[in-house]
Amino acid sequence: MAYTNNLQVIYGDATLGVNTQDKQYIFSYERGGLESLKIRGKEWLYRVPTPTFWRATTDNDRGSSFNLKAAQWLGADMFTHCTKIQLKVDQHRFTELPVAPINNQFSNHEFAHQVEITFIYETLTTPQTKVEITYQIDNNGHVTIKMHYYGKKDLPPLPVIGMRFIMPTLASGFEYDGLSGETYPDRMAGASAGTFKIKGLPVTKYLVPQENGMHMQTKRLTITRNTTLNNADNSNEDFNLTVEQTGQPFNFSCLPYTAEELENATHIEELPLARRTVLVIAGAVRGVGGIDSWGSDVEDQYQIDPSQDCEFSFRLL
Amino acid sequence: MKANLSWLDDPEVFRVNQVPAHSDHPYFKNYREWQKQTSSFVQSLNGNWRFNFSPNPQTRPVDFFKTDFDSSSFDQIPVPSEIELNNYAQNQYINTLFPWEGKIYRRPTYSLKQKVAGSFSQAKDNTVGSYIKHFDLNPALQGRNVHIVFEGVERAMYVWLNGHFVGYAEDSFTPSEFDLTPYIKDKNNILAVEVFKHSTASFLEDQDMFRFSGIFRSVELLGLPETHLVDLDLKPEVTDNYQDGIFNAQLHFTGKNVGSVHLFVEDINGKTLLKQKVKLASTVKIENELLKNVHLWDNHDPYLYQLIIEVHAENGDLLELIPYQFGFRKVEINADKVVLLNGHRLIINGVNRHEWDMKRGRAITLTDMKQDINTFKENNINAVRTCHYPNQIPWYYLCDQNGIYVMAENNLESHGTWQKMGQIEPSDNVPGSIPEWREAVIDRARSNYETFKNHTAILFWSLGNESYAGKNIAAMNKFYKSHDHSRLTHYEGVVHTPELKEQISDLESWMYLPPKDVEAYLKDKPQKPFVECEYMHDMGNSDGGMGSYIKLLDQYPQYLGGFIWDFIDQALLVHDLISGQDVLRYGGDFDDRHSDYEFSGDGLMFADRTPKPAMQEVKYYYGLHK
Repeated sequence: MAYTNNLQVIYGDATLGVNTQDKQYIFSYERGGLESLKIRGKEWLYRVPTPTFWRATTDNDRGSSFNLKAAQWLGADMFTHCTKIQLKVDQHRFTELPVAPINNQFSNHEFAHQVEITFIYETLTTPQTKVEITYQIDNNGHVTIKMHYYGKKDLPPLPVIGMRFIMPTLASGFEYDGLSGETYPDRMAGASAGTFKIKGLPVTKYLVPQENGMHMQTKRLTITRNTTLNNADNSNEDFNLTVEQTGQPFNFSCLPYTAEELENATHIEELPLARRTVLVIAGAVRGVGGIDSWGSDVEDQYQIDPSQDCEFSFRLL
Repeated sequence: MKANLSWLDDPEVFRVNQVPAHSDHPYFKNYREWQKQTSSFVQSLNGNWRFNFSPNPQTRPVDFFKTDFDSSSFDQIPVPSEIELNNYAQNQYINTLFPWEGKIYRRPTYSLKQKVAGSFSQAKDNTVGSYIKHFDLNPALQGRNVHIVFEGVERAMYVWLNGHFVGYAEDSFTPSEFDLTPYIKDKNNILAVEVFKHSTASFLEDQDMFRFSGIFRSVELLGLPETHLVDLDLKPEVTDNYQDGIFNAQLHFTGKNVGSVHLFVEDINGKTLLKQKVKLASTVKIENELLKNVHLWDNHDPYLYQLIIEVHAENGDLLELIPYQFGFRKVEINADKVVLLNGHRLIINGVNRHEWDMKRGRAITLTDMKQDINTFKENNINAVRTCHYPNQIPWYYLCDQNGIYVMAENNLESHGTWQKMGQIEPSDNVPGSIPEWREAVIDRARSNYETFKNHTAILFWSLGNESYAGKNIAAMNKFYKSHDHSRLTHYEGVVHTPELKEQISDLESWMYLPPKDVEAYLKDKPQKPFVECEYMHDMGNSDGGMGSYIKLLDQYPQYLGGFIWDFIDQALLVHDLISGQDVLRYGGDFDDRHSDYEFSGDGLMFADRTPKPAMQEVKYYYGLHK
């Protein structure tokens, strides 16, 4: 059987491009991540996806002083430091990034059947630890994303371990195959399993904006948009991005705000105008607790242990 | 008698000229009125009243009650409503500390062994609402003895009619009734009510809530028939085999003592099970009437029997008709310290419920109440604690009809007198064991008991909330025990004074005790059944880990369950000029200081009565032990 290399690899001077039949990827060496994910001509990324470690402080987090203990992770969430990039095309592992003059050897006709690029981040915490995000594009043009958090002793307790994707415009809604309602590890017994269609990007209207909208144990998620920032694109037709579980189901929230935006508001009406889509895929989610709101922490088994490694993966279609 | 402003400073003066508390039964002129649910004996005074606001007692219009007073400069205010929500006074939310924290130094009189004069009568923070209502009597009330009932007024009130002083009342959350007969006219009556935000009662009403004042519940006139059932005291019992009912009733009449009383008990098919015709007397007793094979009342099947009392004149004319629905049920603690209802283990899947409406504050409507009952039924909530005061009367009827188990709590919380910045420091605690504060709190117990004693749904009397514990709370417990053998008493604060546990509370109660500590109590030969009178604090994104509590129900029969804190966020709907939206505001959003800010919002429901996402979890866990 004839084997076809379907991935066109563009060895750029600051980026690595990968063109497939209906997707175009641009990985930025300078920005430290996937700068562009274009599916059938529609851009899905506003900025490069980053590891995320912060959740907007809940009332129970505040009451138990969790926010004081975890505060370092707020900085680590806002400011990402990419220290290293590793590239593998088919079986070839590059020892150096193929920028000029190394890439002078290539042409506009470079094809491969697998591209794997790993971004290594160091967290702005004391002590520091490492996070690796690997994008593996298969011969069908789908990307599997794997994030690995390296646990370390003496790190402060963690609000969340996940990846944050910011999309250029507001989604019109999303549909997922998972659990009903807003769920957390310690509050999901009452949820029913099924496929749920959500209109818009609802923010749960807690009196003080805080972590909200988490969906545990999800098999598949499809986000629908109908606008772009592209001035030459006048279409209002729906277009989609699907996130699919690889091994384990994943956890996600899909909101118009980052944790920091939520954190800064004391009332829901103070949140900025909703204009983008913030997707968090979380490998580890902290429970919300509820014994009281003035001291009791989340039960032990629903806390995230920062000394333990955490790895999760999912596929984008 | 003349009104005396210093009553505001004296905990021993809390009711002057009030009619004694009595049962809340309705009465009608005839069967048609009952069908239409409108009694011609009742005249509502709800609506617009003349109103003047004064920032303190010194600036109030002292003579406003006089008939020649010129009130043309007065505004209008709707009754019932909160003065603050009419924007006369600042909204303030504060949890445990007193609303004057950081502004005025106060200690409860007698608490430090000395009398304090002028704490409230001379206070610059004691706002005053002067209300005037002009009214004519409905024809049906003319020529009769006429009473007036204020169902709820925060927090101290003086009443005058046609220039004559009528009476004084404290205890904001139980009805205050006065006899207007000596001064009433058919036409052109002038009712004057002076409402003070603070009195010594403020130390007893330090509930975690927005601090309002005003006539916030309905006001009505009652015309009394020639003979009137003033108090109905039903004591239905269930036999030891849980098969039969024993009907007991005491009927207390005022007015003419001639004529007869016809009493019927009917089941839901209209079948008459008991029929009695008795000669009228000031007290009529019907005792030990055995009703075979009664249908017991519970959450799943809130079966109510219809009691009908006809009061007839000597010539046979019907003077009044009293319909009342009651159920047969038995609540007890067995030898293993398990709470039983009708012989079966009782499990409380409860919530605490403040009366709250995002537009009207605590002046809630029947629509709010019905909606809340529906929410309970949809989510397997089977019990409510009336935190921390008696609720509007219709709520108890709705609970009877819908099988909602009620922990009926007194209007009592003196949190700021014993807990400061989280630490227990009871040096100025009231009511404590201070003799001068005793009668005021016993009166609160009495009013709660006498008003609601016939409600089948009430399984527990709760002495109050977070008031520490001394001899006075023990005296409240004793009041209930000496009047009612059919219910259990509850009080949590005795955990701080365990030496009083023998005298206070049939239940061991410890709010927010973590699951492992609840288990430790249950494992160690519990002396009383255990209840979490407050647990799962639902502030913001919360209600995680509920399963750890629910699991204990399967392991320990002595665990009665608990009441989630709480049902609905206390937040107020305000128009935001910046965003142009109607938005929900919480403590501190009105420049109110000292405040406890967003702690006002701990509900399973948002203030707009939509459920928080946690509700599906509650529905699930509460569905496991329905």
